[in-house]
Amino acid sequence: MIALLIANSLALASLLIMLASGLALIYGLRDVINFGHGAIYMLGAYLGYTVALVGGFWLALVVVPILLALVGIAFEYLALRPLQNRSHIEVALVTLGLGIVLGQIIIFFYGGVARSVDAPPILSGSVMILNLTYPVYRIFLIVMGLGSCAILALWLGFTSSGLYVRAVSQDPSVARMMGINADRLSLLVTSLSTAFAGVAGVLAGPYLSVDPGMDAAMIVNCLIIVVIGGTGSIGGAIVAALLFGLVQVAGSVFLPSIAALVPYALLMVVLLIAPRGIGRGRVLN
Amino acid sequence: MLKIENLSVSYGSVRALTDVDLQIRGDGVLHGIIGPNGAGKSTLLDAVCGRRRPSAGTVHYRSEDITRRSIAWRRRHGMARSFQRTSIFQDLTVHEQLRLVAQHLGDDRLDDVIEVMDLAGYLDQKAGRIAYGVQRRVDVALALIGRPYLLLMDEPGAGLSAAETLHLFEHLRDLVRERKMAAVVVEHDVDAVFACCGTVTVLDLGRHLATGTPQEIRADRRVVAAYLGTAA
Amino acid sequence: MNSDTRTRTGLGHDAVGTFGGQSLRLPLAIAGVLIVFALGTVMPTRFASDFVLRLGNEGLLLGMLALSVAFLMSQAGLVALGAASMYGGAGFLFAIAMGEWNLTPLSALCAAFLILVVYAAILGALIVRTNPLAFMMLTLAAGEMIGHGVMLEGLRDYTGGADGLVVNFKGAVLGMDAADFASPGRFWPVAWTAAWLAGLALWAVGRSRLGAILRAVRENEERMRFSGFDTYLPRLIGYVLVNVVAAVAGLLHVLNAGFVSPESLGLSISTNALVAALIGGIAGPAAPIMGGLIFSFAQDEFGARGLTQLLTGVAIVLFIVMFPRGVVGGLSSAARRLVQAIGGRRETS
Repeated sequence: MIALLIANSLALASLLIMLASGLALIYGLRDVINFGHGAIYMLGAYLGYTVALVGGFWLALVVVPILLALVGIAFEYLALRPLQNRSHIEVALVTLGLGIVLGQIIIFFYGGVARSVDAPPILSGSVMILNLTYPVYRIFLIVMGLGSCAILALWLGFTSSGLYVRAVSQDPSVARMMGINADRLSLLVTSLSTAFAGVAGVLAGPYLSVDPGMDAAMIVNCLIIVVIGGTGSIGGAIVAALLFGLVQVAGSVFLPSIAALVPYALLMVVLLIAPRGIGRGRVLN
Repeated sequence: MLKIENLSVSYGSVRALTDVDLQIRGDGVLHGIIGPNGAGKSTLLDAVCGRRRPSAGTVHYRSEDITRRSIAWRRRHGMARSFQRTSIFQDLTVHEQLRLVAQHLGDDRLDDVIEVMDLAGYLDQKAGRIAYGVQRRVDVALALIGRPYLLLMDEPGAGLSAAETLHLFEHLRDLVRERKMAAVVVEHDVDAVFACCGTVTVLDLGRHLATGTPQEIRADRRVVAAYLGTAA
Repeated sequence: MNSDTRTRTGLGHDAVGTFGGQSLRLPLAIAGVLIVFALGTVMPTRFASDFVLRLGNEGLLLGMLALSVAFLMSQAGLVALGAASMYGGAGFLFAIAMGEWNLTPLSALCAAFLILVVYAAILGALIVRTNPLAFMMLTLAAGEMIGHGVMLEGLRDYTGGADGLVVNFKGAVLGMDAADFASPGRFWPVAWTAAWLAGLALWAVGRSRLGAILRAVRENEERMRFSGFDTYLPRLIGYVLVNVVAAVAGLLHVLNAGFVSPESLGLSISTNALVAALIGGIAGPAAPIMGGLIFSFAQDEFGARGLTQLLTGVAIVLFIVMFPRGVVGGLSSAARRLVQAIGGRRETS
């Protein structure tokens, strides 16, 4: 029972990690919260649906992140760069507006109905592990989640660009003197963030759903996670995502009647105890 | 007035200050703090004024242990601070911001401060529009409101020429003597410090190196070796 | 630390502080204002159709929500995306109070109001401490929380779930009964007066010491602490005040509409309020209300809901990027410059 709980939490957390870390990365680097992140996730999901219809799930998993990386590049050049000198609140509001627009465009093209995406044959069905039958797809999700964590950790820990991102997240003023091409790095981070969101969107299809409300639902989850994790702390975001996944799943099992509210309760509790969040991100303002 | 004992401050794994002891008397003497970059001078001020929580040690202010007190509390009880990078209100006029703080701290002698910092000609101008040197005076003026007992200044001479810094220090020395305040000034311009401060403390690598009169410090071999070189 | 004012003050220098900082040529201005108020109370009910009045009422209430958003933005530099909680929450609480608890209309209004204020205070206490970006995120999250809460299975009997609640209005408030409140013509003066009172109240707060403190905290919070100010309480008070305005708007809405649905708790209400604030311009008490009216009429023009949302998003982007002062704000500052050019007065700012 506990094992099932943990496994389900990890599966959910995997998606959340992919999304939240992207959000935290942009925030750490640029001090910008992309309120349109949920819409990008939704774009990934719907595009994944379309590509999967044409060429299958695996094709979608490859193509969609690439497409969304392009979206990220456009976002960086058309929105983030021109608005560099505006206040962070203004940029955040612009991302909110863009997110709304993107969501509406998606609804317009896809007709505002939920779509179902099937897992590929290899990943459907269940498998026996330690006396439990468990859906293969969720195991796949967990693997993907771990994989993205690993990639993130490797990148942050062992490359110069990763080092810079960590430095800037901790203290923007000092890191700026390190002389690395900040613009190029920002482009990298943004497109990585959207690409990850795309992967999450495709993966979400067979697991959660592809419906018109998913952008709002997911952005709220991501925002909660980023705040709990300590805005700017990527490690904190990951821990927070795990915590969130656990709380969400446990909530739906033990307190099904108020399951939807449990994550919010978590948020409020964390705010009460640690107003700065869990992680040791930058000293807020 | 101020007694610092065993003060240590860490940023994560970096020890900015280790075991610093310091005593400042409130008798109208200007107390300078010098030392090479990274010595922990600003951190010391941060710890005293409440901006950074010490990892160890205590700060006693006017015989009371204030280590846990908030920044605002310290200010309301007479401990004021000015900033290395000028921290004022760009969109308010000089008069507006001075008055805002004066009302809050219950100081009805704002004119004194205005006169002392020579801001009479700039009162109706937005602080963002005036010259940098004047902005620094506003920064100091904000700290002077409410007749503080202890003034903490972080590199008041930053961005000023040597002559301007010396002039500022002389001004401060007179001010402090007149008002019987205590003032602790962190500064890079060693000449100004030696010229105007009654006592000088030298920090190096987060540790207290020496404290004494300017003559004593100038002659102290450790200080010379660590910081002053032979130029002093 | 203070070198990057743009990033800290939140909305650039255009929007700072003009809420309470204008000096008026007093007697003339007061007379003009009273005339506008009087005319506005009476004229529309004489000359406008019910349909137009309905849009106008909606616009006024949205304008009050916009006012709450605008005030907090311009004074405290905080963007609150949770106006819907107060707006819809007021409706639900009132309906429940009338239906389940069987209170008189007046007591129901008071009860709902009280609960909302307490909620705002508690939530504010938790979230006002954070930086402006986190604050924005948290208000959004809190808004969604309330939205989810209402849809819970367990509370469905209470809240009506997706169907919402019809208000069981028996009796009268301020001499008006259900029919009066529902009538566009008779509701208009109520909404008009409420909007004016809200605007006046917040304008007064803006000119008060609290307003000055909020603006200073917004600009340089650290220096305020170093000057002995508690920077937490003023913002909390500001937050509660604007939520009071939003709550009043919500109560008026439910009185007028006669029912409440989960839509009124939705994120789109909060974003509409934001857009209306941006359209009007966030400086000054009248601008957001006008923004609300403009939005209401524009929304009617653009029909289908899908298009409204799209245009909302576009409007947010447009008004932040290109028209930071909003339509009304931009016009009024242009007008002011014109007047001063004619009058030969030198502007000191």
